[in-house]
Amino acid sequence: MKNALKYLPWIVFVLAILSVGQKLASPDTVDSQFNLEAFRQLPVSANGRTKPLDTVARNSLMSISGRQSMRTDDKKFTAIEWYIELITNPKQAIQRNVFRIDHPDVLAMLKLDAEKRTRFSFEEVLTASEEINNQAIRASQTKAKARDPFQRAILVLNERMMLFSRLTQLEMPYLVPPISSGEDWRPFVETLSLNPDDPDARALLNILQSYRDNEVLAFNEQIAQFTQQIDNELGYVAKKSRYEVIFNYVQPFYTALVLYVMAFLFGCFGLLSSQLSSKKELTRALLNSMTALIVVAFVVQTIGITSRVYLQGRPPITNLYSSAVFIGWFGAILGLIIDRQMKIGLGGIMASVIGFGTLIIAHNLGGSNDTMGMMQAVLDSNFWLATHVVVVTIGYSATFFAGFLGISYVLLGVFTKTLDHERGKSLTKMVYGIICFATLTSFVGTVLGGIWADQSWGRFWGWDAKENGAALIVLMNLLILHARWGGMVKDRGVVVLAISCNIVTAWSWFGTNMLGVGLHSYGFTQSAVFWIAMFVLSQLVLMGIGLLPMSLWRSKFQRVKPAPKS
Amino acid sequence: MSLVNSSLKKLLKPIASLKLTVVIFALSIFLIFAGTLAQVNTGIWTVVDQYFRSLVVTIELQIFVPKDIAKVPGAIWFPGGLTLGVAMLVNLIAAHTVRFKLKWKRSGMIITHLGVILLLAGEFVTGFAAEEGNMTIPEGQTVNFVEDIRTSELSIVDASDLNNDLVTVIPRRFLDTGETITNSLFPFTINVIEWLPNSQILGPMQTPPERKGLADTGAASELAAIPLPRANGVDGANVDVPSAYVTIHDGNTKIGTYLLSVHLDRPQAVTIDDRTYWLNLRFKRTYKPYSLHLVDFKHDLFTGTQMARNYSSQVQLVDTARNVDREVLIYMNHPLRHAGETFYQASFLQGDAGTVLQVVKNPGWIIPYVSCSVVTLGMLIHFGIRLVPTLKRSVR
Repeated sequence: MKNALKYLPWIVFVLAILSVGQKLASPDTVDSQFNLEAFRQLPVSANGRTKPLDTVARNSLMSISGRQSMRTDDKKFTAIEWYIELITNPKQAIQRNVFRIDHPDVLAMLKLDAEKRTRFSFEEVLTASEEINNQAIRASQTKAKARDPFQRAILVLNERMMLFSRLTQLEMPYLVPPISSGEDWRPFVETLSLNPDDPDARALLNILQSYRDNEVLAFNEQIAQFTQQIDNELGYVAKKSRYEVIFNYVQPFYTALVLYVMAFLFGCFGLLSSQLSSKKELTRALLNSMTALIVVAFVVQTIGITSRVYLQGRPPITNLYSSAVFIGWFGAILGLIIDRQMKIGLGGIMASVIGFGTLIIAHNLGGSNDTMGMMQAVLDSNFWLATHVVVVTIGYSATFFAGFLGISYVLLGVFTKTLDHERGKSLTKMVYGIICFATLTSFVGTVLGGIWADQSWGRFWGWDAKENGAALIVLMNLLILHARWGGMVKDRGVVVLAISCNIVTAWSWFGTNMLGVGLHSYGFTQSAVFWIAMFVLSQLVLMGIGLLPMSLWRSKFQRVKPAPKS
Repeated sequence: MSLVNSSLKKLLKPIASLKLTVVIFALSIFLIFAGTLAQVNTGIWTVVDQYFRSLVVTIELQIFVPKDIAKVPGAIWFPGGLTLGVAMLVNLIAAHTVRFKLKWKRSGMIITHLGVILLLAGEFVTGFAAEEGNMTIPEGQTVNFVEDIRTSELSIVDASDLNNDLVTVIPRRFLDTGETITNSLFPFTINVIEWLPNSQILGPMQTPPERKGLADTGAASELAAIPLPRANGVDGANVDVPSAYVTIHDGNTKIGTYLLSVHLDRPQAVTIDDRTYWLNLRFKRTYKPYSLHLVDFKHDLFTGTQMARNYSSQVQLVDTARNVDREVLIYMNHPLRHAGETFYQASFLQGDAGTVLQVVKNPGWIIPYVSCSVVTLGMLIHFGIRLVPTLKRSVR
């Protein structure tokens, strides 16, 4: 029994790696005689970025139907199958139920019944196109903040319809490669009408016609030839495009998320067993398994982040989505370090909580958009993205980490007997150390942002909402440090204040975007308001628990008497 | 000597306390938070002046609750940014005076705080000495003045001398509703009938009846100005554009009521005794010894989208006094620095017809760079000295 337990972490470790490998080995290929694999790897240009058709198909289907695949009664279509049908056989495609509509008033307006299904065909939606258009015009004349749910739903539907028809008419993406490298990609229909003999457009036309006419051999031969041609002309782009297809089906961040959740479960069981049973081996095995899972998740996440850097040719953080991924990634590093130092599983639990929490946030932020979209002109500076943004995000991450350690201190202290004098002390030391680190990074990051601002619009500090948010984090960290140095707070005070940092950080990270003012007010979603409010509330409750009189705490923080010297 | 020293220390002790530091931090956190929320309804420059560059600020409680949820009356007084900044500075200097000990262990702390003092000083310098303005140049034209889009002025040009224009400028503060302006430089009196801090110009068909016919003379008498709420937001897109109705009297004879507006790009003539005076309400101008000629403005888009990839202005910079005559490309994150001023690509005219450059003169621009390096260095030393042994001890 004991031996078996010793091997548990290794078994978990190997299984985790195998599960990742399995993802890599099953490229959700299409069960078709047509070589759609080559088709989905074709690079095209959409929203200003060169990407494989696979990404275009996935994102489009995702934004229209909320899924990356489509189901009919007898078959499951992958995104690329749906897409190629859309452009080669639109008559069939407009009957596919892909439009997700939830709002009851919209459904009523379209005279559709949501009893049996939530997805409808373009044909069905089109019957009310005039009314949708009217309502969309009304909605778009209303200020974004003042729109009611119906108006928002109408606008979303309208946008999806536009996307659908742009795809069908081959307006988007630009399919025809540039004439020579450095030139722009070209729209298919326009190119063909301007120059019917354009070799690239011609080749694409033949490919699509072969698919339409169900000529498998011709299609496969043509696509092989065209791929070869693109390889010769745009070798690097084609290579990246192929890599992105792999990135799409491996879904490293989703994989990491699942692993973090499992790690969290192992961690919880580990803590539980340390409370309930005296078998140290079991606790050890469970906690080590947790660490093993985190290591694998961390590696997968690292590969995901590096892949994005490679694909985008940019530093790791370019938008809110990637900032969430990065915060989780850095949290995992801190967690693993602490896990090594304090062997009660706390660091690992922190790492897994922050890991899956931030990845869920990222998932929601990403939605159906291309998370590697192009950047606004003023943000287009790799140097500052690499310095200011990365350092400031590390500051966010560290501050969150200190806050979450604070939460664990309060929860373990109030509800368990785990914390003794020693552990309490070393836990607060961790919090303190991380706050020092967070002060440094958030200060440096904020200031680098000021220097960027000075470089790009001549104002070191503009009191912009996001700048103020960053300043709040720095000030909050400074407040804690000075309060501790001045003896105004002791261990518990530091911990409770650290939890309040979570509120400040969440405000700075998201809250400032909700105000809709300032240069940084990008990427905000409606439902985020609710979740942030909930988060703030939860932190206040936790702070309240932390302030309960010590007599109510189950951990008594008694000093363990040193063993009498013999 | 030591007696003076110790009594000074006694005096400084309460000012130097860490408790005060923490209180100042807490107050600053609240002030910045409130100053951020206030930006939702009030223009950022107003907020900066009211909250961050003031001694005292009246914080309206309404800013904490969205207007459509509940109306909240009342306001609280609160120390402004200037007060808190000075307090922080005093507290910090006092602390170092009282507790100053040149010890290796404290070196990081001392360096950090020196950097913080420099940083605060830098913000004071910026607050008092920095000037920001805009240069709007249509393609193919040359401009030799900077406009301050946060304030306006009324210019009166007497062009009767063939060689020199006599230009009189009336600053914004004399232009409120009800003001009367007389001066020996022009022979008439100006009565400001109505001053509109932010306005919109309407054509004859759009004007509501009650705003019709307010002006009876001048090129804009067919038009009307209506008041708009004050602009908010950070960027150049939201700017107050003022208008004014003024009546001109020559002695006791009424010449007429004019509509003047920053919206109108042409001056209006007032003729008295065969002399013509050109009246123009405009953003406040500062003329410069150099000029910029816009050769070309480019607004590149990402392929197949409406998303801007880059804005750039190709300009010819001419400054005869400095023997400068050269072509420069100004684009995102690549400003032009000339004569103590920096020119940034800020915005552009409709239809890409011209560029808007932001012109900043900040004698203290280098201070943040220095102070931040100092603070960073100080923190690294301090945490390095303190933290490493602490962590070592905690590892068991």
